[in-house]
Amino acid sequence: MQRSLKNINVWTFSAVAIMALLFLPNLTIVGGIFTPTNDNWAHMKEHVLWSFVSTSLILVVATAVLTISIGLSLAWLIAQYQFPLRNFLKWALILPLSIPPFIGAYTYHGIVNYTGVIQTTLRDRFGMEVNPSHFDIMNLPGAIFIYTIFLYPYVYTITRIFLSQQSASLIETSRVLGKGPWGTFFRVVVPISRVSIIGGASLVVLEVLNDYGVVKYYGIQTFTTAIFQTWFGLGDIETSIKLAASLMGFVILVLMIEKLLRGRRQYSYSTTKVRPLPLIQLTGWKAAGATGFGLVIMSLGFFIPVIQLIDWTILTFGTIPMAEFMSYVRNSVTVAGIAATVIIAFALIVGNFGRLVHGKMAKLLPRLSILGYSIPGAVIAVAVVTAFIGLDRSLAPLYQALGFDTTLVLSVSLIMLISAYIIRFFAIGYNSIESGYDKIGTNFRDASRLLGMGITKTFFKVDVPMLKGAIISGFIIVFIDILKEIPLTLILRPFNFDTLSTKVFQYASDEKIMEASQASLLIIGISALSIIVFYKFIEKEPK
Amino acid sequence: MFISIDNVCFSYSNTKTAALDQFSMTIEKGEVISILGPSGSGKSTVLRLLAGLEKPEDGSFNIQETVIFNEKKFLQPEKRGIGMVFQDYALFPHMTVAENIMFGLFRFKKAAKQERLQEVLELVELEGFADRYPYQLSGGQQQRVAIARAIAPKPHLILLDEPFSNLDAELQGKIRKELRDILKKADITSVFVTHDENDAHAIADRIVKLKDGKIEVIGRPCDILNINRQAVVEAVALVEQRDMMSV
Ligand SMILES: Nc1ncnc2c1ncn2[C@@H]1O[C@H](COP(=O)(O)OP(=O)(O)OP(=O)(O)O)[C@@H](O)[C@H]1O
Ligand SMILES: [Mg+2]
Repeated sequence: MQRSLKNINVWTFSAVAIMALLFLPNLTIVGGIFTPTNDNWAHMKEHVLWSFVSTSLILVVATAVLTISIGLSLAWLIAQYQFPLRNFLKWALILPLSIPPFIGAYTYHGIVNYTGVIQTTLRDRFGMEVNPSHFDIMNLPGAIFIYTIFLYPYVYTITRIFLSQQSASLIETSRVLGKGPWGTFFRVVVPISRVSIIGGASLVVLEVLNDYGVVKYYGIQTFTTAIFQTWFGLGDIETSIKLAASLMGFVILVLMIEKLLRGRRQYSYSTTKVRPLPLIQLTGWKAAGATGFGLVIMSLGFFIPVIQLIDWTILTFGTIPMAEFMSYVRNSVTVAGIAATVIIAFALIVGNFGRLVHGKMAKLLPRLSILGYSIPGAVIAVAVVTAFIGLDRSLAPLYQALGFDTTLVLSVSLIMLISAYIIRFFAIGYNSIESGYDKIGTNFRDASRLLGMGITKTFFKVDVPMLKGAIISGFIIVFIDILKEIPLTLILRPFNFDTLSTKVFQYASDEKIMEASQASLLIIGISALSIIVFYKFIEKEPK
Repeated sequence: MFISIDNVCFSYSNTKTAALDQFSMTIEKGEVISILGPSGSGKSTVLRLLAGLEKPEDGSFNIQETVIFNEKKFLQPEKRGIGMVFQDYALFPHMTVAENIMFGLFRFKKAAKQERLQEVLELVELEGFADRYPYQLSGGQQQRVAIARAIAPKPHLILLDEPFSNLDAELQGKIRKELRDILKKADITSVFVTHDENDAHAIADRIVKLKDGKIEVIGRPCDILNINRQAVVEAVALVEQRDMMSV
């Protein structure tokens, strides 16, 4: 009895410690709200804070409306109709997700600027001297276009998977009751898929609020850019904490609106066997329209930028020494690999704790850490740096005793960057692991314990092998997200430590767009591959 | 007296009503007990409490001289020496039949392990199936593996939750007889849950009838049958009386 109780305590202790590590740094932000204000903050509040709010609002609302329109209409077309290239488009329409918006942003800038392919073609082939301002994409509408075209797959995939699990009878009933296709769409399809539409759209909104690369590159002032500016430009970390707190307020507002819109109603028939929707054959111009629409979106979101990047890579291949390039690859893979491994290990521990202990705390703690994913990278960066500098300060006597001649050890090491990744992306790994635990249930664990195995042995002999699928898919998603990550990496990396994505950002910021293409293509290639594998996996899974 | 269960009370953490109220009984060694009752009456709850998967609020449970739980003590499931066959069998999908059965034999020496494996495989008549994975077995075979796995470590008591519910009618009849033979041959004390009167009457030495978490009646199948018969007689009499009055 003693030993087993001790076991439970070890699990509880580890889980609580992990959750505290993940959560506490963010409390520095909350603490920052209450520190006395200074001149910078007063100035900002008076003059620019409102413009950040309104810019962020415009970006968020416009992107949400556009991604919903595009994502939902594509999801409905694919779920209900048969037309040429439908089966290809069905999964190809997910691919834009593999292009980080920032890479898309500089690629499109490269395509439409004065020396880009469009303007040069017009000049050289057709002798047209066009007004360059018509082709300026580095502005608010440009950013909205970039977000929309690379983020709509969130709405599209979630809604399409939901619709494909709906019973045909729902739609057919509406038809029988005399509603035409449009009536059915607005009166039945939109309401029943509301939860998935909002789920997808809120992911889009969180991505937009988190984004640093696009707005920075396009010179748009938002919360994220302002946080970094006051921090590095003015060296005023207090003000940037206050900005971070305001941004958090904004995010919490978004989450509350999401919850409100979602409501209590969960329309879901996904667990029972349902007759899938029979596809309606489209003909003539309708079929051409559907295929055309899908192809245009998919070209804008994937083919055009990728072809451009391939072209640039061929043009510049060899200008970046291979050894140097490989060192970026190695760095990227190392940090992403370490962080993803730790995240999955943490998620396994916290998830198991959630199953072992009944009660409110066990349910609440993981929920709290899930919030981590909605906290924008800029906020986490501020929080983590503040926490690590504090840690270094309190460890200073120890450093002295060990004979270091510096007082900053942890806060200039890779540990800081990796911790920030873990805080930011824990929720993603946890989601995967938690659904894995849900799927296997508790019977296998109970069976193992009744056969005499303790909790910890059961964990390694039964739980882990059975969670293999969830572990692998969780690892892949986290790994890719870290590979693409920009603001945290940029700010928290040790001196002279470059990854693929920071290198892309640097090249692009230095107007060396072409040189950035090679690393970009590699990131896109890895992401695209795993996205395809991943969704094929989800589709195949028996529900 | 081999097993004694006294005054066990329990309610699930998020509910107010008791799932089990003052459950008491004794069980002799080698006895086959059946718990019978309608859905939601607390049958599975009894098994979960005996297995240690839930913590009782009150009451005690002893096997011979060993206290399994009382007010002060709570033995974790892996320390109880109680086997359980789950309703969905819970065979580990990543292990073969042999690995599943030997899972609980980690305290045995290597040779003894093999010997015990052969013994129980023989008992459940699955000698040729040791290297198959659970998904390569039929429902009835899976169930026999689950039984073999549960009895392999020689538990004091084995618990079975609705062992027949996943089987079709024909198989049910066959397995029912097999199960009784297996249990009797191995001289294992067992408690099994069912909501089917026929199952209970065919296998059990004694039957416990549950209703709303309370014991309604405990007794041998023939006695319980009599109680039922009496109830029927009374009901018929009542109806006749009413019919007479209405005429
Ligand atoms: N995890 C749980 N949390 C809360 N209440 C529960 C839980 N499990 C069971 N109950 C409740 O406890 C009561 C007894 O449930 P139990 O599962 O023991 O019934 P049962 O007799 O096995 O029914 P069945 O024949 O349907 O399996 C029921 O009212 C049930 O709703
Ligand atoms: Mg039950």
